[in-house]
Amino acid sequence: MSTPKPAPRIPVEERLFSLVLALLATDSGLTKDEILSTVQGYRQKFTRSGDNSSLERQFERDKDDIRELGVPLETIDSPGDPGNNQNLRYRIPRGAYELPSDITFTSEETALLALASMVWREGSLSAESRRAVLKIRSLGGETAEPVLGYAPRLRVRDVAFDPLRTALEKHVIVRFAYLKPGEAEARVRTVAPLALVQHQGRWHLFASEPDSGINKTFLLRRIVSGVDLTKTTFDAPTADQTEKALAGLDEVWQAHVAVVEVEPGSDAATRLGKRRGSTTTDAGTLELHYSDINIVADELAGYGPEVLVLSPPELRSAVISRLERTAADHG
Amino acid sequence: MAEKPQPRLAQDKLAFLLSLVPYLMDHDRVSVSDAAKQFGVDEEHIREAVRLIGVSGIPGETSTYQHGDLFDIAWDDFEDNDQIVLTNLVAIDDSPRFSAREAAALIAGLQYLSALPENADRAAIASLMARLSRASSSEPTQVAVEASETDSTLSLIRESVAKGVQLGFDYQSSRGETEHRTVDPVRVESVDADWYLRGWCHLREAVRTFRLDRISNPVVTMEPITHAASDVNLPDTLFEGSSDDLLVTIDVAAAAAPLLADYIPDDAVSTELDGRVRTTVRVSHYHGLKRLIASMPGVATVVAPDEARAVVAGWATAGAARYRN
Repeated sequence: MSTPKPAPRIPVEERLFSLVLALLATDSGLTKDEILSTVQGYRQKFTRSGDNSSLERQFERDKDDIRELGVPLETIDSPGDPGNNQNLRYRIPRGAYELPSDITFTSEETALLALASMVWREGSLSAESRRAVLKIRSLGGETAEPVLGYAPRLRVRDVAFDPLRTALEKHVIVRFAYLKPGEAEARVRTVAPLALVQHQGRWHLFASEPDSGINKTFLLRRIVSGVDLTKTTFDAPTADQTEKALAGLDEVWQAHVAVVEVEPGSDAATRLGKRRGSTTTDAGTLELHYSDINIVADELAGYGPEVLVLSPPELRSAVISRLERTAADHG
Repeated sequence: MAEKPQPRLAQDKLAFLLSLVPYLMDHDRVSVSDAAKQFGVDEEHIREAVRLIGVSGIPGETSTYQHGDLFDIAWDDFEDNDQIVLTNLVAIDDSPRFSAREAAALIAGLQYLSALPENADRAAIASLMARLSRASSSEPTQVAVEASETDSTLSLIRESVAKGVQLGFDYQSSRGETEHRTVDPVRVESVDADWYLRGWCHLREAVRTFRLDRISNPVVTMEPITHAASDVNLPDTLFEGSSDDLLVTIDVAAAAAPLLADYIPDDAVSTELDGRVRTTVRVSHYHGLKRLIASMPGVATVVAPDEARAVVAGWATAGAARYRN
């Protein structure tokens, strides 16, 4: 089995695996020609002194796929001939590829990380966290069994989530149409994405306006168009953007207080009364914090006669008009 | 010339190969079944990967994949005894790092879990997150989840599971009726910001799902459980449809239709006209429906049956009437 016969078709994973092995094994790097003519999965399709443009495109896509897994595939300019693409050399530096040897996880931590990976019910976060767990399992540690079965799940239903995550990673400016709460027409926004955070069960984009540098927060479910990734990049922000975004959202949430009367013993009394930050006043009314008047108005309207909004007046009238609208639509 | 994009599958298979090799290197000899358990995959998955690893390697000095340039395994042991022994190693020394997105996905998941009582040790969680960041090939992408509120009921559920005793509590249905229940707790689930307890209900003598925020006065009793987690068969879905369910035709703004996905049966027929989708939702009673529709004013409207329209109209009218007194 010293020289495997050229197979008619090499599976994609075998080609990718062979490419990673070849690039890990080289210190000085391999040129594209060397890779295409010798590495398993490419060499079978390589024609010497022929047209390999389709194979080259395949190599470009493979590089992207491998990098997406966190493999640091790097290029080195040829010192004698900088800028010449044909002489670029490719390699995977071992130190940047391997998990640092002092990174270990206890069996309880491994169990917790496995549970953390299952938090995501669907979508790219789910696939990526499952891959991360594979890498943790490869360290060989045992996994402790939890006492009680937990199945915590978060959903990411907002279609804007995945393109925004890609933009965050690439530090590129994005463009989308945004329907600001309380406005009837959507407006196109162009912003530099800084963080995606979930606050009070809703996903928010924290971003800055490139011209003014002012930070703004957008609700993902109010992005009413697709998200366009532009080619304009910006400098990577500092690593504390999620903390800043959550602190800002919490400040807004703290500042908005609604006073409502709830029917004792009703579903509204149970659920609103147990909400984080809710307090019952001496007069028997309930004080609730909220972030967005339109969202809380929708929710309170759902409780029908179980809730009476006392203040602020703009929330009171927002709830009344919602109830009247629903009554009229079903009359 | 257009070539199909590679299926995502190949990337996942590559991640698996790069993870399996270091694990096999750390074990001089490991059975296929042990490896399958470690990675939570079926045994054939492991065999397939080992067969590929066994013939893979680097082009080497001759650029022709000579024997010494390839991984090798003890093939007889593998084929006859289902044992994996690597006999020649190339290129790989250690487990791969996480990608920025992989680390970010786990970190955000951990933030959510930090609400669970056994994970209340914030310092331990922070240390775990710091290690994930350091083990990532670049700075994890900025994705975060606000830690949800720790519910004291969760601690009591956990205590009753640890002691093997029933949990008693007052439970309020969405109709506003309260009943005392005793339950053998089996599992805690959440969907977004809402937490649920699933277990064997002694009142109903069946598996039931309870919303944590509708539970009052929870008590860890002295009564031993009669149904252990291993005896109880939990359905995959949180709430099972029943033959008594009511089917309601609604019109919903196309953009808002995904918000109702949980209520739309798989076999529902949906038609779209002028940005509105006409479809069917399944509800167990109109008490739930009227709340759902009234919380989507102008976005969702009940079309049929008339009785459902009347219930929603009555609910909204009664709500509006409270402001006229």
